[in-house]
Amino acid sequence: MTTQPAIALDKLNVSFGEAHVVKDLSFTVLSGESYGIVGESGSGKSTVLRVLAGLNRDWSGEIAILGKAQPKIRDKAFHRQVQMVFQDPYGSLHPKKTVDDALAEPLTIHGIRDAEARIGRAMADVGLPPSFRFRYPHQLSGGQRQRVAIARALVLEPTILLLDEPTSALDVSIQAEVLNLLQALRQERKLTYILVSHDLAVVAHMCERLLVMQFGRGVEEMTAATLAARAPQTAYAQQLLTASEGFKRQAATIPA
Amino acid sequence: MRALTTPTEQPLLELDNLRVNFHTPTGIVRAVRGLSFTLGRERLGIVGESGSGKSMTGRAILDLIPYPGEVLADRLVYRGQDLLTMDKRTRRKLRGRHISMVMQDPKFSLNPVQTVGEQIAEAYRVHHKASVREARERSLVMLEAVQIREPGRVYELYPHEVSGGMGQRVMIAMMLIAEPDILIADEPTSALDVTVQLQILKILDDLVTERGMGLIFISHDLHLVQSFCDRVIVMYGGKAMETLPAAELADEAARSQRHPYTLGLLGCLPDLDHPKAKLATLTRDPAWLA
Repeated sequence: MTTQPAIALDKLNVSFGEAHVVKDLSFTVLSGESYGIVGESGSGKSTVLRVLAGLNRDWSGEIAILGKAQPKIRDKAFHRQVQMVFQDPYGSLHPKKTVDDALAEPLTIHGIRDAEARIGRAMADVGLPPSFRFRYPHQLSGGQRQRVAIARALVLEPTILLLDEPTSALDVSIQAEVLNLLQALRQERKLTYILVSHDLAVVAHMCERLLVMQFGRGVEEMTAATLAARAPQTAYAQQLLTASEGFKRQAATIPA
Repeated sequence: MRALTTPTEQPLLELDNLRVNFHTPTGIVRAVRGLSFTLGRERLGIVGESGSGKSMTGRAILDLIPYPGEVLADRLVYRGQDLLTMDKRTRRKLRGRHISMVMQDPKFSLNPVQTVGEQIAEAYRVHHKASVREARERSLVMLEAVQIREPGRVYELYPHEVSGGMGQRVMIAMMLIAEPDILIADEPTSALDVTVQLQILKILDDLVTERGMGLIFISHDLHLVQSFCDRVIVMYGGKAMETLPAAELADEAARSQRHPYTLGLLGCLPDLDHPKAKLATLTRDPAWLA
């Protein structure tokens, strides 16, 4: 592992009109590391990923990826290094394009010639049988669609994957398969992940370090071990952890 | 049953061999295949993956299965009244008034061109003879009951102006204003943040313990069902794999008595206390559906 961080964020600020959704956020992710971002809806966690992926161009601060400072509008070379997987596999695949079309498009954009071999390889990597190549999204299950979305991200052979709630639309059994796949791919290819999720157990399983966000601010950065030991420093992180442990009748019942 | 039902009291709902079939051009899809249970004044959880028939069970009880679906059962009785032989009119009167359902997503279940308050008031006026003003007042009380801080302001809002958590509470208020005996909650909290989720569960919990309502809680979240419900039915492929007290779900000592499907579902969850390098994946046995 190199000492140079794969991703370095310094004082990132994002506003949508009046709403200031990300406030002075700074963190670094090392190369080969898996970094989690957790928080409730509206905490700005997805916005951070969209800014990193270059999908949101209205921000201020410093972003360096693989040691290179990033402009507001990213170049093609950037997109070969950084790819994103979205939350909803039902919404992120074009309903009228086959799996083959979805995987071929990034290759066409980047002018890569050996599309045939690359598509076959990407499908094999995510465990999709070759017979699925000319299927439409409606002919696939949720888990298979998410595999297509991961294959589409991998087909350019990036080094950084941004994962926005990759399993929250899936059943627990399918979630396990997709998480295992992501773990295996990371080990094989020395990928760097940023995983956004609201599920603390998923983040603890997948990541070495994580950041808790609230109202656009980074509240606390901790290791997965700290989380598993139930030892966060801040009250908010502690509260989030308690809330995720399920319903407690005693705590919830107001004495009469 | 560890529920609040006393032995002398008749159950709220009795279900025997419920089947839901869809006649499609490519054959019969059997969404529910012979499910039986009784519901007392308790929290009954139904868990399973998508396609296991848990939502269809809820809809079948309310007679909300659309054409070409059909609902068959040997017995479907609400407090001594046979729902199968009941005419449509009487059944409709029961629906919403005595048996009610909270749907999963407030975004798609609320009328987008009517204020949330009007929708709650309407639900009240359908079932009770009440003036517009009276219905409004009842609605405001109900909004307050589901922990909405400024009921007067929220009453005037349209569904797109409220957050997901608030929308879900509006739906619950709408269902509860008629004071039903049975509430079927279909994934009522899965679109919500954990902290909001706990508030909603608290509201439902109070209704069961204080008003003696029967709650059918449909969910895919095992941890939640385990901590919230009294009893759990684990469904797979339209059949109940097993019915067990919720507390036993996590009981290590009782593992050997658990159905392999239940163990499989528990095994594929990442667990903070037991980190593993690779999550177990589920193997399905066709014999379960035989």
